[in-house]
Amino acid sequence: MTVTRLQDSGGPDRRLEHLLEDDPADLYENAPMGYFSTLPDGRIVKVNRTFCEWIGRPADQVLGSRFQDLLSMGGRVYYETHLIPLLRMQGAVREIALDLVRADGTDLACLANAVEIRDDDGAPLLMRATVFEATARRRYERGMLAAQRRAEESERRSRTLQMVVSDLAAALSVEDVASVIVERSREPLHARGAALVLVETDPHDPDAAPALQPVRADGLPDQLLRELRHAAGSQLASELARGVRSIVLDDRLRGLQPGLSAAMADGSLTELVVVPVTADGRRLGVLVLALGRGPDDLIDLDRPGGTASLTTADVDLLWTIGRQAGQALERARLHEQTARQAERASFLLEAARLLAGAADVEETVDRLAGLVVHRLADVCMVDLESDEGLIRQAVRHRDPARAALAEQLRTRHLSRRTISHPGVRALQSGGTQWVRTVDDAVLRAVAMDEEHLAVMRALDLTAVVAVPLTGEGRQLGVLTIAADARRGPFTVADVEVAEQLALQLGLVVARAQRFDLAVSTSHALQDNLLPPAPPSLEGLAIAVRYLPATHGIDVGGDFYDVVRLPGEEIGLAVGDVVGHDITAAATMGQLRSVHRALLADGPAPGAVVDRLQAGWPLLGLRRMATALFASLDPVSGRLRIASAGHPPPLLLEAGRARYLPVRPSRMLGAPPSPAVEWTGVLPRGAALVLFTDGLVESRSADIDEGLDRLLAVASAAGTSDPEALCARLLSELTGAQRADDVALLVLTRR
Amino acid sequence: MTGLRVAGRRQAPGPCPRVPDVERVLQRNCVRLAGSPESRPLMFAHGFGCDQQMWRFVVPEFEADHRIVLFDHVGAGRSDLSAYDRERYNSLRGYAADVVEICRALELTDVVFVGHSVSAMIGVLALQAAPDVFGALVMIGPSPRYVDDADYVGGFSRTDIAGLLDVLDANHLGWSAQMAPVIMGTPDRPEQAAELTNSFCRTDPDIIRHFARVTFLSDNRADLATVQVPTLVLQCSDDVIAPEVVGRYVHEHIPGSVFTQLAATGHCPHLSAPEETAAALRAFLTG
Repeated sequence: MTVTRLQDSGGPDRRLEHLLEDDPADLYENAPMGYFSTLPDGRIVKVNRTFCEWIGRPADQVLGSRFQDLLSMGGRVYYETHLIPLLRMQGAVREIALDLVRADGTDLACLANAVEIRDDDGAPLLMRATVFEATARRRYERGMLAAQRRAEESERRSRTLQMVVSDLAAALSVEDVASVIVERSREPLHARGAALVLVETDPHDPDAAPALQPVRADGLPDQLLRELRHAAGSQLASELARGVRSIVLDDRLRGLQPGLSAAMADGSLTELVVVPVTADGRRLGVLVLALGRGPDDLIDLDRPGGTASLTTADVDLLWTIGRQAGQALERARLHEQTARQAERASFLLEAARLLAGAADVEETVDRLAGLVVHRLADVCMVDLESDEGLIRQAVRHRDPARAALAEQLRTRHLSRRTISHPGVRALQSGGTQWVRTVDDAVLRAVAMDEEHLAVMRALDLTAVVAVPLTGEGRQLGVLTIAADARRGPFTVADVEVAEQLALQLGLVVARAQRFDLAVSTSHALQDNLLPPAPPSLEGLAIAVRYLPATHGIDVGGDFYDVVRLPGEEIGLAVGDVVGHDITAAATMGQLRSVHRALLADGPAPGAVVDRLQAGWPLLGLRRMATALFASLDPVSGRLRIASAGHPPPLLLEAGRARYLPVRPSRMLGAPPSPAVEWTGVLPRGAALVLFTDGLVESRSADIDEGLDRLLAVASAAGTSDPEALCARLLSELTGAQRADDVALLVLTRR
Repeated sequence: MTGLRVAGRRQAPGPCPRVPDVERVLQRNCVRLAGSPESRPLMFAHGFGCDQQMWRFVVPEFEADHRIVLFDHVGAGRSDLSAYDRERYNSLRGYAADVVEICRALELTDVVFVGHSVSAMIGVLALQAAPDVFGALVMIGPSPRYVDDADYVGGFSRTDIAGLLDVLDANHLGWSAQMAPVIMGTPDRPEQAAELTNSFCRTDPDIIRHFARVTFLSDNRADLATVQVPTLVLQCSDDVIAPEVVGRYVHEHIPGSVFTQLAATGHCPHLSAPEETAAALRAFLTG
């Protein structure tokens, strides 16, 4: 033991003994801790030198003052609310963290232990306390606490984000997405209200200023939304480009945007946070969060008017939520679009069935009009050309109560002299006429007399669409649909459906008229289903052939189609429905209708395959099919092809034939697999050959042999002229007896 | 504590329409009943930092002629911490709603509500919510707003409150781990030690911090004028938390209230001067 050795060594041990003879007074005064005693009211009655030195006050100043008065304000509250009650009830406290205030005003972090000395009745007499300096320990603890709070904040933010992401995953409609975003985004900033405002661009007028459409708002006054729209309207693009930003209600804002400022003040709002909602760089809209104080909100610890409400981490979180919202919106829109397309396709399919099954033109037209008022419009009229001019073949009203009223229009045959009538304009222009707002001036312009005017007024019409009927190159009449005040306005999709209907109706009417209006059911079906002649397209030469199988019924499941897409491109299709009977033929007809309906918004071939795959069960198609879909830009030659289990297309260029490596996905009607699109260029002068397996497959040869033969025959044909090439391929590859039908489409760019 | 028992469902006739689960409410707030069951109810509500045990020196004075109702605010003492809901307790109205639920669960009327510190204002809000339940209000060291505001003196700056939150953090950082075994009871009353250890053990630092925010950052000045029952304001001397000027403000803004200045110093006269406190209360009740 060290002490023993020191004692043994003589001289120094006496000094040590002296030191260890703890002079109580010295120990008290100079102990390495503050030491003091107080009366129950806190008045200090004894204190040691260490304490006085630590707080920088002479003992005579400390004595008589109250301990709580030497504490920081927070410390005083803690003393009153915790230390004193604890001491009173349990007689001792330990390691209470307090801040003493030194004479120079600085804080001294310390830990205090105290005991209460009581009289015989338990009444308090004295508090004895020791104080240890804890500056470093406190700093360390604060650092830990701050780190823990940051971690909690960060965790809170990631939890918010996780909830947003998982809720968005289940949101199928734009409305769902908006509801998730508006609800979830309020939490991080404790926003009083939130609104999701989307930018709506008019598809018919892309140059028009985009409109701001609040999709969902919660906790925001209407007036504020109106003012926001007004404020953002003129400089929308720049607003959205500025990222997450905060608009504080201050004098500057009051000067620049008095309306907005007043609306904020009315709603007790102090700040708006604007978050861009984007997807892949496209700005879809904004999320607006409104911050402010509610009647029961706590007093803000920051000085009033302080504006440091947004931290970088908040900004990052909101920015991410904005992007998540954008992607979810795009997804929801696609989903809604697909659902609408399926709905549209099923309507067109029903119409196609109806047209195929009708006995004659009158019945066809009437039943179609009935279907239209059931699904699409309030009023439907069909006017057909005849030797005596235009005859109103059908008038139907959705509401049976107004059917009699509408029936009065039946004798009001269109006169080509009424040039302002949308039907007449449609016939003269050859294109759809869409009157978005029907006012009394419009009615008066088309009315033949007062009685006619009265009927039209009574029908309460708000919008009219007139589509010309054409078939086999002739104008056949006009299909007119109208909406009344009880129904919403027509959408672009409604008008597209009307156009599709007019296209089908035109074909039926044209054929019916050609067969002198005496068409049997089976013939109508057959005629309707056989592929039409391709349109003549500038810069392209196209030849098509369809050869039915020589066994059984002379209709089959093969088809081709050539369609002008919105924009410059054209769409090509060749397909083969399994089987060679009426069901195969009907399925083929349905598939072609659906395909046409899908093309309304110009999807890429891969998307056509995907949507058909996805829609197959919905459409109730009873057979599987293979098909090849292509889009071609006649100017650049850009060619995109997607295959659903179909034989590859053939390219014949400068006397050399090869198959294009289009990777087929599964057949239509099989469990869907994503389509893989092939993209390339069709050189000028080269011939693209699309065909069905009837051309390459026979009872005597399998398909690989057949494909090789086709390659050889095409290479040796010595021509790329579509008509000549068609003739050559069919004569070389097919005989008089065919087990399968054949569809063949050859196309060259001039 | 003898004479106290854990409250059970009272087998009183008649339905209890507004409280679907009486037991749940009584357990949530650790409600304890004492005194004379048929007498006028005297409900004691503890303030920030403590629990119902704070009343132990005062309660015996009233057991003979009052029905005593003691409870812990949710988050304090032996209340059900799992019932702590940040949204509900983001305003003193949440605590006031609890008070009303307790009174309804016990089917109390003509209650004398004795609220210390922040509970004085909770009492004002409870009166607002259920005027049919309460007959008188006693406010010990009340403050409708602690933070100074323009001409109003509350006694605290925002910096002071931030400092208080820091002190709470410093004291509760390792509270449950370190302090609990340290808080030793007096050897002669071991059951008391156990009570204290438990009650402080179970106090969650986050709840304390949030309660501190709600206590010290509320502004209920406008609610004072709604009080319509006989009211006593008990004001301590040298109370740093609720200075006399604030007590006077409360008195002046509650029509017809009685202001009594105590000689007791500090913020907890029921601990430091229970006799004087009880006497003032008695004088008011018999008044």
